[in-house]
Amino acid sequence: MAGRRNDEGLRGTGRFQDILVNLDRRIIFLAIAAAVAFPILLPLNLPIQVSNEARAYFEEIERLSSGEVILLSLDYEPDTMAELDPMTLATLRHAFRKDLRVVAMTTYAGGVGIVERILGEASREYGKAYGTDYVFLGYNPDWSATMLRMGESIKRTYPTDHYGRRTDEIPLLSEVDSYEQIALVATIAASALAEYWVIWAGGKYNEKIITGNTAIQAVLIYPYYQTGQLSGFLGGLKGAAEYERLIERDGAGVRGMDAQSMAHLLIVCFIIAGNAGFLIQRRSQRRARVGGGDA
Amino acid sequence: MWGDLGIVVAGLLTLAIFSLLYKDNPVYKFAEHLLVGVSAGYYVVHYFYSSVIRKFYVPVFQQGDIWLLPGGVLGILMLGRLWKRFQWISRYAIAFYVAAWSGYLIPSVLQERILVQIAGTFPPAVGEASLWTILGAILILVGVASILVYFYFSAEHRGAVGRISRIGIVFLMVGFGASFGYTVMGRVSLLIGRFQFLFEDLPKSLGRVGP
Repeated sequence: MAGRRNDEGLRGTGRFQDILVNLDRRIIFLAIAAAVAFPILLPLNLPIQVSNEARAYFEEIERLSSGEVILLSLDYEPDTMAELDPMTLATLRHAFRKDLRVVAMTTYAGGVGIVERILGEASREYGKAYGTDYVFLGYNPDWSATMLRMGESIKRTYPTDHYGRRTDEIPLLSEVDSYEQIALVATIAASALAEYWVIWAGGKYNEKIITGNTAIQAVLIYPYYQTGQLSGFLGGLKGAAEYERLIERDGAGVRGMDAQSMAHLLIVCFIIAGNAGFLIQRRSQRRARVGGGDA
Repeated sequence: MWGDLGIVVAGLLTLAIFSLLYKDNPVYKFAEHLLVGVSAGYYVVHYFYSSVIRKFYVPVFQQGDIWLLPGGVLGILMLGRLWKRFQWISRYAIAFYVAAWSGYLIPSVLQERILVQIAGTFPPAVGEASLWTILGAILILVGVASILVYFYFSAEHRGAVGRISRIGIVFLMVGFGASFGYTVMGRVSLLIGRFQFLFEDLPKSLGRVGP
């Protein structure tokens, strides 16, 4: 309502503060688009500081020995691919580089294609074989029950893998059937799924858990890291970029950080300009009122 | 070839969705409806196959695992919601589901989300952690306590209670600010993802699909 009053009362006055307050939203869209597009086309290579959370995520994988098994749950769909794909790819590259074996799954129906694509890309890069070095269990309905039941038996939770092959015939799963044989659970999640991994796999089965999350979820995840329920976490594209730096393999995360920084800088400028315009406008309105009263 | 063509179509649809930023238009509407339709089709098929076929039909009717039958029957009862006359039948399934999940969930959630988190607000003893960590923990304790006072409505927020609740508001504002900042970062990240697709993947595909 206040915005509308401003529009009605001040449109067309042409004063600097009024232009700032009533800026056409399309100009803002264009400016943001330019701020994001230019660094993608012409990288600026701005520095990236690594946070403690990202370092802890990296160190949890780094401390594992060759041949150990990690459970990688990719709990997201195409709408958050931009933020989470770089984390997934970096995690798989890190794991395969260390010759860890990966049991992959998804608790989202729309995540199946994403897992197949990234798992295929990373396994081809490192020459890993399906069934012995990695396996994709696929999607299972009811994520809570899936997480819980995997503590008893992965093979009973997933009688077949994503491709319909019986899990008791897959070589990797002949050695692994519950969290006891899994050294680490890593979840890259778009929602509160990391919390449920903490409750089921962490709380009930004492499993170590690391997570990569969208930026929006990161605020909710911090308390679990602070209490030690999560051993490490990556927050948004920034977390992905930090992790890529740690594994010394730059990817879409690092490439996106220049654009991220430029966009943030511009948004801060818009916020300052908008507030400055509002304050100047309010002061001049007050002066006009006082002047009118005097008259 | 088909993959590249798919990327070109995705590029065109991305531009169609972006066109809303100028103003609402038929091209945007077409892309929006296409997305909703394709998503609905994908999820219906996927859920039906993974739940009904893989988790019920195959184990019960092909592998003879009849213990899954009662669960299947409860699932069928849920379909009673579709007919007004039989809606009451679905309550049995809902009652079973709610009761079973409460039994499963309440003790675990209480432990991990409440008890461990409460324990996490207590500062470590001097000597167990660095001074910086202890100061941070004290700040968290003050924040949690003052926010709880802010949400305590059985006493008027005046005097000491009012002052503490005002400190709680400051902590809440800082929390909301952090959430907002992260939300902006998330939205910008999505835009970056689309632009990386438009400026990196799409030109490569256009080169392969074109003459």
